[in-house]
Amino acid sequence: MSRRKAKRPAGPVVTVAVLRLYIADSAPNSALAIANLAAICKEHFGDKFELEIIDVLEDPQRALADGIIVTPSLTKVSPSPLTRIVGNLSDTKSVLHALGIA
Amino acid sequence: MKSGKSALPPSKPRSTRVDVAHSFENNVLRLIRSAPESRAIRAGEVDAIIDPASGRAILMPAAQTALIERKARFRSLMDLASDGYWEQDADYRFVLHTGAAIGNERTGDEGILGKTLWELAFDNGSEIDWQTHRTQLEWRAIFRDLEFSCVDSAGRLRRISISGEPMFDPDARFVGYRGITREVTERGRATTVAPGSDGFARATLDALAAQVCVLDTQGTIISTNAAWRTLAATYGGPAITENDNYLAACAGAVGNERVDAAAMAAGIRQVIAGEREAFRYERFSGTPLAARWFMATVTHLRGAGVARAIVAYEDITEVKHAERLQKLECTVARCLAVADDTSAAVHAVIRAVCTAQGWDCGRYFRLDSAAGVLVAAESWGLPEVDVEQFMERSRGAVFRADTGLTGRVCDSGEPLWILGAAQNSRAPPTALAHETGLGGAFVSPVTAAGKSIGAFAFNGRCVREPDDRLLQALRSIGEQLGEFLRHRQVEDGLRRREERFRRLTELSTDWHWEQDANFRFTEIVGSGMVGTGDMRGKALWELPAIVLSDEQWARHKSEINAQWSFCDFEFAVALPDGQFAYCLMSGEPLYEAAGAFSGFHGTGVDITERKRAELALQQAAAR
Repeated sequence: MSRRKAKRPAGPVVTVAVLRLYIADSAPNSALAIANLAAICKEHFGDKFELEIIDVLEDPQRALADGIIVTPSLTKVSPSPLTRIVGNLSDTKSVLHALGIA
Repeated sequence: MKSGKSALPPSKPRSTRVDVAHSFENNVLRLIRSAPESRAIRAGEVDAIIDPASGRAILMPAAQTALIERKARFRSLMDLASDGYWEQDADYRFVLHTGAAIGNERTGDEGILGKTLWELAFDNGSEIDWQTHRTQLEWRAIFRDLEFSCVDSAGRLRRISISGEPMFDPDARFVGYRGITREVTERGRATTVAPGSDGFARATLDALAAQVCVLDTQGTIISTNAAWRTLAATYGGPAITENDNYLAACAGAVGNERVDAAAMAAGIRQVIAGEREAFRYERFSGTPLAARWFMATVTHLRGAGVARAIVAYEDITEVKHAERLQKLECTVARCLAVADDTSAAVHAVIRAVCTAQGWDCGRYFRLDSAAGVLVAAESWGLPEVDVEQFMERSRGAVFRADTGLTGRVCDSGEPLWILGAAQNSRAPPTALAHETGLGGAFVSPVTAAGKSIGAFAFNGRCVREPDDRLLQALRSIGEQLGEFLRHRQVEDGLRRREERFRRLTELSTDWHWEQDANFRFTEIVGSGMVGTGDMRGKALWELPAIVLSDEQWARHKSEINAQWSFCDFEFAVALPDGQFAYCLMSGEPLYEAAGAFSGFHGTGVDITERKRAELALQQAAAR
């Protein structure tokens, strides 16, 4: 599970958000972060998002290069500005704020 | 939502673990300067930190414990689910093997490593099997439950099931296969129960797709098969299971099922009493949307202890559907064969389809390609107020051929349907209320010579997802009707042309005639020849009033005997008043389909006026 990209439907799709989630295998907070983020994206973006999941246990250098110190961490790459939120993403309000939705 | 920490079991070692965790977190917190990261660590929402110095990820104690426990649980489950684990390299050679031996036991683990699966000693792997397996591997497919048999060192037959999946490195390069083995020797023995035993009989009953139950002399169910039990578990109404009395259940049936239940009960009683060996009865169950047909067979049992009858329900829904559709196709063919005109034919076809499918109404839209419009040409519906209102709204409607459901069907040549509420449709129901006012709609093209010439639109509350057989039947009906309409169109054109020609002929001649092979008149249409009376049954030369010389008769007879056409054969007819009438006859030979000469037909013109005028002119000129 080094890098995964969320599936997107075939055909032209307008991507409204590009996200990166840094996790540690299936550790409890990481698993929770994936589930929380999936629910938020489904509700607010539908199919129009691109999510890359990076497992720092397999690719720590990638995390360091992106300035990530702890996992789980979520980075919104696009649209700018780049924002970051740390933790298991249980606080939906904070996540929405970081993603520029709320 | 809280983190997964609370899921850890509250055991004594945990306090030590928590202390260690806190001291670790405190050490980590000294390294982390950013506030959000610090807050997350304090809240227990962090699984790992990345040490910039070493470039490695370090798991937090809680995360580490959870992962270790999860892996242990997974390993435990793996042990429960399998008897062995193995890995192969990219050349499919075993590089790791734990647990139950693969292949012949005398090979041992050392004998397995470095070999491929097909190099091991199995008794039942043919070259074709191995070729198939190698193809699976080449395609990097997951394989499950590949079963092999071999004889162990004690001479016992072993059966081994092997499942595997491909492995890839982070760059998506194939690195080999890994998988599990399971001993299925006992399972194999259990499934090969001895013929004649109770287990064999039960296994046989359970293998049947039909629902089967065994009744005693009182009609109580003493045994059921797996299909019966499955149906009983999923049946919406009161389920009849073992120890229930089937006859009592029949007596308690309500509604439409009472008739079927009474018939079944009577048949079962006769079979139990030995009055008949078997009883068969066809039953309908369900709603028009989910109709099911069953063939119930009750068979008498002799010498089987208390068991007296076997009741078996066989689902014959597909057969019934196929029968009904075949009947519908025959009905449509008959309608088209006996129809007097196109309107009656279309009307009859719509009615036949609606009746067979339980649809409320149907309409035929004719495609006017030149005008680019679809015209509502014909319809049929149930005599109900809402159905009649619905049809009235679309009667005589004309709309653009590139719009609406019907337009799309004409354009694509493919059927479309909209089901009732809560059912999936092949067409979106938006903006189609005027076409689907009766719940669901099914629109099917009418084609001739491969091109759409119109479409059927059927509506009703019972429009259900069509299966392949229904689609095929409606396509066939559309083609039959399309060809019928095309032929009728051609025939109508020919008839109109013939009519025009006949009227023109009537304008230019005074009568038509036909003769048989002996040159006797058989039919005279029109005024007939003046002064000759009834000509039927006589040849031309048998009419005494005709004035011709022997030479002229001989020439005429010679021509018609040679079956030559003749044109403007002129002769005079002596009238009773002593004057002459004059006629011109033209004719051509007739032949039967086999080519035999059957007579002549032709036309006649009375030229008396013209001839007399000519004669008067000639006489005046002579004077």
